[in-house]
Amino acid sequence: MKRYILGRLAVVPFLLIGIVTVAFCISRLIPADPLTSIVSERQMGNEEVVKAAEARWGLDKSLPQQYVLYVKNLFKGDLGTSFRTKQPVTSDLGERIPATLELAIAAMIFGGAGGVALGALAASRQNKPTDHVSRVFSLLGSSLPVFWTGLALLFVFYARLSWLPGPGRLPARTDPPEHITGLYTVDALLHGQWSLFWQALYHLILPAFVLGWAVMGTVSRLVRASMLDELHADYVRTARSKGLRRGAVMRGHVLRNAMLPVLTILGFSFATLLTGAVLTETIFEWNGVGAYAVAATRTLDYPAINGVCLFGGTVFLLANLVTDVLYAFADPKIRLS
Amino acid sequence: MATSTMHPGAHRTGRRRLAGVLAAAALLVAACGGDDDNDSSSATTAGGGSTETTAAVTETTAGGGESTETTAAPTGGDARDLVIARDMDINSLDPARAYCDTCQIYLTAVYETLITLDPADLTKQVPRLAESWEANADNTQFTFKLNPKATFADGSPVESKDVKWSWERLANVLGSAAYLMDGYTGIETPDAQTVVVSFKAPNSAFLPIVSAGMMGITNSDVAIEEAKSVAEVGADASDTSEQYYFEHSLGSGPYQLESYTEGDALVLARNDNYWGDNKPVFPSVTIKQVKDAASQLQQLQAGDVDIAMQLSIDSLSQAEGDSNLSISTVDSYNFVYIALSSGAQAGAGAKELSDPKVREAIKYAIDYQGMLDVTVAGKGKLQASPIPNGFDGSADLPLPAQDLDKAKALMEEAGLADGFTLDAIYPKVNVYGVDFDVMMQKVQQDLKALNIEVNLQPNEFPQWLDTIKATGIPLTAVYFAPDHTDTSQYPGYFGMIEGTPWSKRAGGGAAGTPNINPAEAPLLAEALAASGDAKIAAYTKLGQEMMNDLIFFPMVNPQLVLASQADITGMHYSGCCNLDLALLGVK
Repeated sequence: MKRYILGRLAVVPFLLIGIVTVAFCISRLIPADPLTSIVSERQMGNEEVVKAAEARWGLDKSLPQQYVLYVKNLFKGDLGTSFRTKQPVTSDLGERIPATLELAIAAMIFGGAGGVALGALAASRQNKPTDHVSRVFSLLGSSLPVFWTGLALLFVFYARLSWLPGPGRLPARTDPPEHITGLYTVDALLHGQWSLFWQALYHLILPAFVLGWAVMGTVSRLVRASMLDELHADYVRTARSKGLRRGAVMRGHVLRNAMLPVLTILGFSFATLLTGAVLTETIFEWNGVGAYAVAATRTLDYPAINGVCLFGGTVFLLANLVTDVLYAFADPKIRLS
Repeated sequence: MATSTMHPGAHRTGRRRLAGVLAAAALLVAACGGDDDNDSSSATTAGGGSTETTAAVTETTAGGGESTETTAAPTGGDARDLVIARDMDINSLDPARAYCDTCQIYLTAVYETLITLDPADLTKQVPRLAESWEANADNTQFTFKLNPKATFADGSPVESKDVKWSWERLANVLGSAAYLMDGYTGIETPDAQTVVVSFKAPNSAFLPIVSAGMMGITNSDVAIEEAKSVAEVGADASDTSEQYYFEHSLGSGPYQLESYTEGDALVLARNDNYWGDNKPVFPSVTIKQVKDAASQLQQLQAGDVDIAMQLSIDSLSQAEGDSNLSISTVDSYNFVYIALSSGAQAGAGAKELSDPKVREAIKYAIDYQGMLDVTVAGKGKLQASPIPNGFDGSADLPLPAQDLDKAKALMEEAGLADGFTLDAIYPKVNVYGVDFDVMMQKVQQDLKALNIEVNLQPNEFPQWLDTIKATGIPLTAVYFAPDHTDTSQYPGYFGMIEGTPWSKRAGGGAAGTPNINPAEAPLLAEALAASGDAKIAAYTKLGQEMMNDLIFFPMVNPQLVLASQADITGMHYSGCCNLDLALLGVK
């Protein structure tokens, strides 16, 4: 197992270089002007200003020169400076990853745990009202677009009912806790700021629900289908005939065996949430990687685009690896080599 | 600024929320029970719902766009922290590089200028760091006397060397606002309180330019020592201090930079050492990133923010009748326009546009009043030329009007009665409440009357910019907000004068040649050398010439919505500074 993990990790840098190269080439192929976020539209005709900007940001160099310089700096841990924010991309990502991580974890707790519970419940009450209701709920979660769900829930629970807070990670008049992890809930707890912890948690409810609902829909349907397959297996009948109670069979055998395909989905869902919570972050003014990626793409901020691609690639590669390892733990028949 | 202070609006909803959170949590759990169908249906209804209110939207028709309310000094003593919702467009916080609408607000609050505008009178300059100033007879030399009481936030005096250093750095860093110092030949500092700026040619625009936020003064000693900033020629390559200004501010204004997190918030703290008479009221001012108008309105109504800066005209009906809010509309200097470029090297229709009769026909085919109604529900004005209403030279120009018979006759004269295809490539944006898709669809519809088939091609802004730079565009749409309060910026951008952006984009017929109107450069020089009525007369003629070019057709000069909690005072829109935070207070 150790050898397998080390082997997989050794390939990661090469894959990342590949990702960066593709991202570099694609972003340069787009017929658009990256100076948009550096020079104002009104000064684009001022050659002196344009040349100064190109020289300052390295855009006066040939593409191969830019690429070699970028990769060289990459090996030094320098992802470049964002054209748009004028900050190092590493520091931009460092500020935003914790926000995305906190949201993704909350969404996974809701979507993953809720999905497994809902799927198990539906399977155990097959074709009964509980099953129908949970299937409709799952279907809605998977099929409603998150931008619509987000806006609708904000309108109802924030603007109309005032039950839940509006966009943002904390109330506008509240300072975040002193930075330790960047996860507001965790940092507030570490500082013993209970009120702040509840506020941060309170602000997580809606975006985590919106994101998690989609995951929950997929997971619950998969759990239900897998469990129903398992329920008709011989070992279940044998276990029941030997006098094991239905609940014990469901928890100890059926659910455990049905979880294998779910692990794959959970791993990829988490990776997708970390890299693809674009709409949710935009709607909820959640200053995470998704919102950063959108802004970078719209302004053709090359260093930021490459940085986000690198982050996304790393997340997916690690998620893959972790899923594979978890498989081995979940199913003793699987041996990684 | 750490604070748990809650403002009345927040209390208004706070209890309901605390009670509601339990219900919401229960609902989330209960969702497993399958009540979500009801959720989705109610949300659908709610999404289209609006409050039926008839409230008083006070309409301030400030001819120059300034609210008269702003003349009052801020009140409120030690008020709460102020929170403003805004979609920020900050490109930098370095005073020599910052160039955006939000930058105007920031720079005005943090980096004071030598003079500023009287909030009640656009044309009247009033002292700020300078207590007096004068221009020589031909507007080539300007002398400023600094107020000896003026100090930076660290207590050190504001001196002439700081002014010289700040303006030279602005010019030499070659940022987007460097053009404000175009034509200067030198800055002299005979003593610590006197600054003399000389230009190679008359420049009557300089005093209005000095009032622009981008001309703010930096504490040069600290900037050189700590930030390692460079002001000398070559600073465009040698100055690497931009990041310093994202964490520190070195101005003399009523507020200082506390923190800035891109995509989240810009936080300013009160300058407790502020030297001026109007002491800042708010302990801190937070400009919170809120992207869309609907969300800004929601947060304003919930009491989460005190001011919403970019509410759309559409949202007015939802805010009317809320006694907790103060909503008004004011005239602005912003406008959106369409532009015709016969020199475009790609796209259908450029050849036909080279005939002025065709361009004139298009001008007469547009239903301008209908455009106002469609884009901003009538909350705006028509505009004659690229000089916006309220600026010198705009008052006596004829407003555009639709005349379809004349338009059709012109097309016949041009031999194009059967029409042609015209490519319209424009940035897909919503600016000043005007959705460009809606505007261009209206143009498309109007031009059908001339059998002109407009092919709409919305682009992301960087792609649009790349296209217009590379080949030009036959028909496009753009927007403009002023950098300062002098008319010279309009011929400097729209004029068919050698070197202006649009003389290159519009093209002169042969590939790569600029479009030049020989009458415009002398008129601009005349205006820059003149003062008073003579200056206005020159700009009026210049405006007429730009109309005669038949390249720009302003579509809408929209009004702005000023929206705040009812107890906020001093809300205004300023041509030089957007929103001057120092003028805000609380009842």
